[in-house]
Amino acid sequence: MSAAALIATSAVVLAGCSASDTGGEAADLTTVSIMAPYLVTNAPSGDNEIHTALEEIAGVTLDITWVPNSSYLDKTNITLAGDDIPHVMVVQGKDPGFVRNAQAGAFWELSEYLPDYPNLATTLPEVQKAASINGEVYGVFRARDGMRAAVILRKDWLQNLGLEVPKTTDDLYEVAKAFTQNDPDGNGADDTYGLIIPKWPGAIGSNSPYDVIETWHGAGNRWTERDGELVPSFTTDEWLEAVDYEKRLVDEGLVNPDYATFDSANWNEPFLNGKGGIIIDVHSRAGVLMSLLKESDPDSFQNYVEITGNLEGPDGVLHAHPTTGYSGFLAIPKTNVRTEAELRAVLEVLNNMNSTEAGALLNNGIEGTTYTLDGDLAVAVDSAPQALKDAVLSYSQLGTNVTGFQGYLPKQPTEYEQEMYDKRKAIEESDLESAEYDPAAAFVSKTYVSKGAQLDTIIADARIQYIAGQIDRDGLTDAIALWRSSGGDAVIAEINELASQNN
Amino acid sequence: MVALDTAVAASTALDTRPPARRRGARAHFTQFKWLYLLLLPGAIYFALFRYGPMYGAVIAFKDYVPFLGINDSPWVGWAHFEDFFASPDFPRLLANTLILALLSLLVAFPLTIVVALLLNELRVTMVKRSVQTLIYIPHFLSWTVVASLTYLLFALDIGPLFQLINGVLGTNIDFLTDPGWFRPIIVLQDIWKNTGWGTIIFLAALAGVDQEQYEAAIIDGAGRFQRVWHITIPSIMPTIIVMLVLQMGQVLNTGFEQIYLMTNALNRSVADVFDTYVYFMGITQGSYSYSTAVGLFKAIVGVVLIFGANWLARRFNQTGIF
Repeated sequence: MSAAALIATSAVVLAGCSASDTGGEAADLTTVSIMAPYLVTNAPSGDNEIHTALEEIAGVTLDITWVPNSSYLDKTNITLAGDDIPHVMVVQGKDPGFVRNAQAGAFWELSEYLPDYPNLATTLPEVQKAASINGEVYGVFRARDGMRAAVILRKDWLQNLGLEVPKTTDDLYEVAKAFTQNDPDGNGADDTYGLIIPKWPGAIGSNSPYDVIETWHGAGNRWTERDGELVPSFTTDEWLEAVDYEKRLVDEGLVNPDYATFDSANWNEPFLNGKGGIIIDVHSRAGVLMSLLKESDPDSFQNYVEITGNLEGPDGVLHAHPTTGYSGFLAIPKTNVRTEAELRAVLEVLNNMNSTEAGALLNNGIEGTTYTLDGDLAVAVDSAPQALKDAVLSYSQLGTNVTGFQGYLPKQPTEYEQEMYDKRKAIEESDLESAEYDPAAAFVSKTYVSKGAQLDTIIADARIQYIAGQIDRDGLTDAIALWRSSGGDAVIAEINELASQNN
Repeated sequence: MVALDTAVAASTALDTRPPARRRGARAHFTQFKWLYLLLLPGAIYFALFRYGPMYGAVIAFKDYVPFLGINDSPWVGWAHFEDFFASPDFPRLLANTLILALLSLLVAFPLTIVVALLLNELRVTMVKRSVQTLIYIPHFLSWTVVASLTYLLFALDIGPLFQLINGVLGTNIDFLTDPGWFRPIIVLQDIWKNTGWGTIIFLAALAGVDQEQYEAAIIDGAGRFQRVWHITIPSIMPTIIVMLVLQMGQVLNTGFEQIYLMTNALNRSVADVFDTYVYFMGITQGSYSYSTAVGLFKAIVGVVLIFGANWLARRFNQTGIF
């Protein structure tokens, strides 16, 4: 580490002498290979307009291997075990496999290098820290909105019952109760419920409606600080209080009864069909709901969706539930980027790829072809070829935006949607001030890497079992004790040790 | 084809010579070289695609990191096995796996034989053929489709089977989340999907039963059930035993997809089996070495059970498979 730091420091000094604005000697690299996931049906073809334009900005030939998102994790590990390793790899998160590889020395540690590159020197240092492994930066993170949590409600139901948009968790309970019991659709039948909660694919701390409600109650966000020590949220009294609140919603029938098995892919349906009236998820789902409603009911679609942000807890304080602020990173494996000069060459390319010019290309596509500008907003061109529209979505996977969002925000198709979009942005901005961040986000404990998924499942299952009435309060406490004895205590000790080393 | 003819011709031509083994291995190979040549493609296939990849199983004894590769990852000996046997998951996984395996062995396996016997008794060929085709169809549906159908049929409050069963019993059971109903549903799905297909091999065995024995039995005044009991079942016993022995090797393979798709937070305590655990630890958790150790343990148990069942079969004077 000290040797690396020394080299890095001398590189910075050299940079000062050589008058190069990106610092250090960069090797001559004509082709940069990149591995990235694509989330649409087809991978972009190799010679599309976006690719050509991006190569021009990057200054090198780009050899991109597109891998379907569903098999991306497998492909990452297979690639790392083989010989043909790209210069740059999109890594989708700090999953245990990545951590093991990184700690075995598979990737360049970048914290000493990034400040030399104006477009890679992040303006969001806390996000870069959260994306690091115990402070070691193994990639250029891909920035995401810091605040997305939202409550989406049936606007017509609120109006029919003369209810206000909820501001606190108590309000939410009252609205859910009224939506269930007071016939909000006025059809004279008892056929509605309040909250729609799906079966959640992840365990605890995976932004499920449960997690969000618990953060609102002041239980923290995955981890929280109590008496100077970092502890998991579910060891707090506020967490138990929040789970009791969730149980009350379920017990009183204010939630869809199949919450333990309801497929999250169908989450929108009860809302659209007028069965359930509240979704706790992210703001973008409101946009999806509005466009679905617009398709089926273009004349009055503006009457159904209401949004609000995070809710105040019973303590009267707003504990907003933020995102991690990033979605994986661009990591540089050491196998094919062997020298520091080569690393600098690759970083220069990444620096070019996060310029304002590249940002518009990666996020919006090609002006005049996929979008036109209306002031600062991008208006999507509907007649653009589908392959090119899909390509924009794929190439956006390469965007990092570590110095703030580099593209143009989309202009909404109707005035009402624009109004809702602006409202969303305003809510996100004000909620961000009350964000409850995960104080342990940067820390990766050894025990958690080997047992984390199992440990998390213990708690997530016990939570649902308690809510369903399969176990009582003692059973829930037993599960937490089991979590502790199965390795949880070691995780707590390791996280706190890492925290004290890193402060 | 030409090679085969030559080989057969060669071996028959040499039949008059003294047995090969007396004249040493070399002469043996010279004598049967064409047969061995014929064997070669199969042997190469097995060496390359079956035995070769088994080399990868060494990662069960290493701390495998993809970046370091199989050879350079550090050795850890039996550590992963020790961790696994000491973990609180082990007894639960073993119990869940064995119970599901036993249920399948005791319910689904005999049912296949019963269905085959019933089909065999059908005398109208048209009916027999139609029934056969109909009960084969579910075999071609993927587990995903079977699971979706189950979810639809048993959906809380609205599923037809949910309404029917709870209506008749006057209960309010949520079949999809009640841990007590998990195993029955898994076994029912298994029966629905695989019973028809499983009858094929028994029907083939039934076709080979000596018809004269039936005629003799009829003359002796044996009824239908007596004929089935005293002629049909003993005749297909070797097939039943072979299928049973093979089934024993699959005991711990409970079928990942089926169980994974039917698991949720409320029934996980009875649903976790070795297969889902290997997926969970290996793929989601990236513990390749650990999950390989679990998989290896499973394979070894399978081999032991096959040999054990085979030994038992021979002891009771039945033909084993080897």
